[in-house]
Amino acid sequence: MSKTAVTRITHSCHLIEIGGRTFLTDPWFSTRPGYYQGEPIAAGIADLPRLDGVLITHEHYDHCDLDAFAAYRDHSVPLFTAETVVDVARKHGFTDVTALAPWQEAEAGGVTITATPAKHGVYEVTFVLRSGPEAVYFAGDTMLIPELSEIPQRLGHISLALLPTNGLHIRPANNMQVVMNAQEAADLTAILKPELAIPHHYAFTKGFLGDRLITSSDKNPQRYQDASRDVAPGTSVRIVQPGTRVEL
Amino acid sequence: MPAAVNTAVYPVDVAGVGPVEVSVAEYGSGQPFLLLHGGAGPQSVTGFAERFAAAHDVRVLVPTHPGFGGTPRPEALRSIPGLAALYNALLDQLDLQDVTVIGNSIGGWITAQIALLKSPRVSGIVLIDAVGIEVPGHPVADFFSLTMDEVFQRSFHNPEPFRVDPATLPSAAQAIAAGNRAAISVYAGATMTDPALAGRLGTLEVPTLVLWGDSDGIVDVDYGRAYAAAIPMARFQLLVETGHSPQQETPDQVIRAIWDSAETDFAAFAR
Repeated sequence: MSKTAVTRITHSCHLIEIGGRTFLTDPWFSTRPGYYQGEPIAAGIADLPRLDGVLITHEHYDHCDLDAFAAYRDHSVPLFTAETVVDVARKHGFTDVTALAPWQEAEAGGVTITATPAKHGVYEVTFVLRSGPEAVYFAGDTMLIPELSEIPQRLGHISLALLPTNGLHIRPANNMQVVMNAQEAADLTAILKPELAIPHHYAFTKGFLGDRLITSSDKNPQRYQDASRDVAPGTSVRIVQPGTRVEL
Repeated sequence: MPAAVNTAVYPVDVAGVGPVEVSVAEYGSGQPFLLLHGGAGPQSVTGFAERFAAAHDVRVLVPTHPGFGGTPRPEALRSIPGLAALYNALLDQLDLQDVTVIGNSIGGWITAQIALLKSPRVSGIVLIDAVGIEVPGHPVADFFSLTMDEVFQRSFHNPEPFRVDPATLPSAAQAIAAGNRAAISVYAGATMTDPALAGRLGTLEVPTLVLWGDSDGIVDVDYGRAYAAAIPMARFQLLVETGHSPQQETPDQVIRAIWDSAETDFAAFAR
C-alpha cells in the first residue's frame, strides 16, 4: 500500500500523497511587495509532479497564487476550492473547478475530499482528505472555531494534521486576529488527535515595515511544538523545512 | 564613530534611458534601506543616514540623483519615473531583498514612483514630506519663485541653525547649488506634481508610512494627509516642531517613527 506523506513546499503550500494520489494545497509560488514566504519555495511549477487534485482554501494571494500556478501544464487538473475561488480559477483557464462548502464532499481517484469549516478575514474552508483508514486535515490559515471539534465525530480519525500557528493579527483592523495561534493550534491538535502534526504558515513576513505597520505574528513554530507536548502528548509534532518529505 | 562604509559609482543600464552612472554612499550593515534626497541635495540626508546606521543594524544606501551634487546627468534621464527606473534597476543589480525606500520631498515622489513599479524587492516605503501629487487648494510652494531665505523659512520649523547665505559660499559650492536647481527643474518641473500620480497610487499594496512635519511650509499637512489617503493602508504620522526636512531638523523623531512604528497610535494623527 502506498504511504501517506507530505512535502511542504512553502507556507501553506504542500504536496500531499494519500491513497496513491498526489494533491497540492494552497499554491504560492511567487512574491509581491509586502508578501514574502520567509522561507524557501522548495519547488517551482515546472518541478511539480502530476497532480490528482488541487485544494484552495480561500482567495488570498498567499494561498491562491493562480497567476503563477496558471503555468501548471494541465489546466484540466481537478480544483476543489472555496466557492469564492471558482470564478478566478476559471478565469485562469482551469476547466475542472468544484466548489465545496463545509461538510460537502467530492472524490478524486478514490480519495474522498471533504470541505470543513473555517474562519478567517474572508470566507474560507479547510479540507480533510481520506483514503481508507488514513486521513489528512489541511487547515489553510483558519482561526480555531468550535465547529472544528466536529471533525472527528463526522469524518473519523485524522492521521496527519497540517496546521497554521502564527496567530496573525491585522493591526489596522483593530488588531483583529485572523489565524489561530500556537496554543490554539495545540488545542485543535488535542481535539483531532492525529499521529503526526506539522505546523505551517509561520515564516510569513510582510517585510521590515509591513511587520510593523500591517501585521503582527508569531514566527516561531517551536511554541506550537511545546504547547502540543502539554495538551496533545499522543501526537508527534514535527517542524519541517520546505522540501522535506515526511511519511506518516 | 562615523558609520559610513564607502561611496561607489555604479554603472546601471536603465530601460528606455540607457547607461547611467550613479554615485551611492553606503552607511552601516544589516536591514537595507534606500534613502532618496530631495531638491536640497544628498547632503540633506547623509547626516540622517549616518545617525540611523549608528543607532540600528541597518544598511543605508544614499544615491545622488544624477545632476545633483556636481554629478553628470545623461540627457535621456529627465523625469521622476526615469529616476525610479534607475533605482529599481540598481536594487536588482545589487540583489537586495526586503528593502524599505525612504524619500524626502522630491525623493518622496521618486519613492512613490518606485512603489508603482511593484518590485518584490521593495517591501515598504516611507514618504517624508513628499511632493508629486496634486491636491486641490494645497499647492506645492513655488520653489523657483522663492528667495533662498524664503526657502529656508518654509523648510524648517526653526530655520536659524540651517540658514546659509548663498552669496558667502565658495564658487564651487555655488556651482553645485546651481546644478541642483537645474536638476530639480528637469526632473520635477515647475509645479513639482504629476496630475495622474494620486490615482495610480490607489493600486499600491506596499506597506507605507507617511511622515509629515507639522510646520512644513513647502507642502502643508493637509497635502500630507491627502498623500496617505491616496495609498491603501498607508499610515500617517505628524512630526512635531518639524518642517519640510525632518531628517535634518528632527532626525531622532524620524528614526523612532520608522523603527518603533509598531508601537505608534496612528489614530492620534487622524482627523
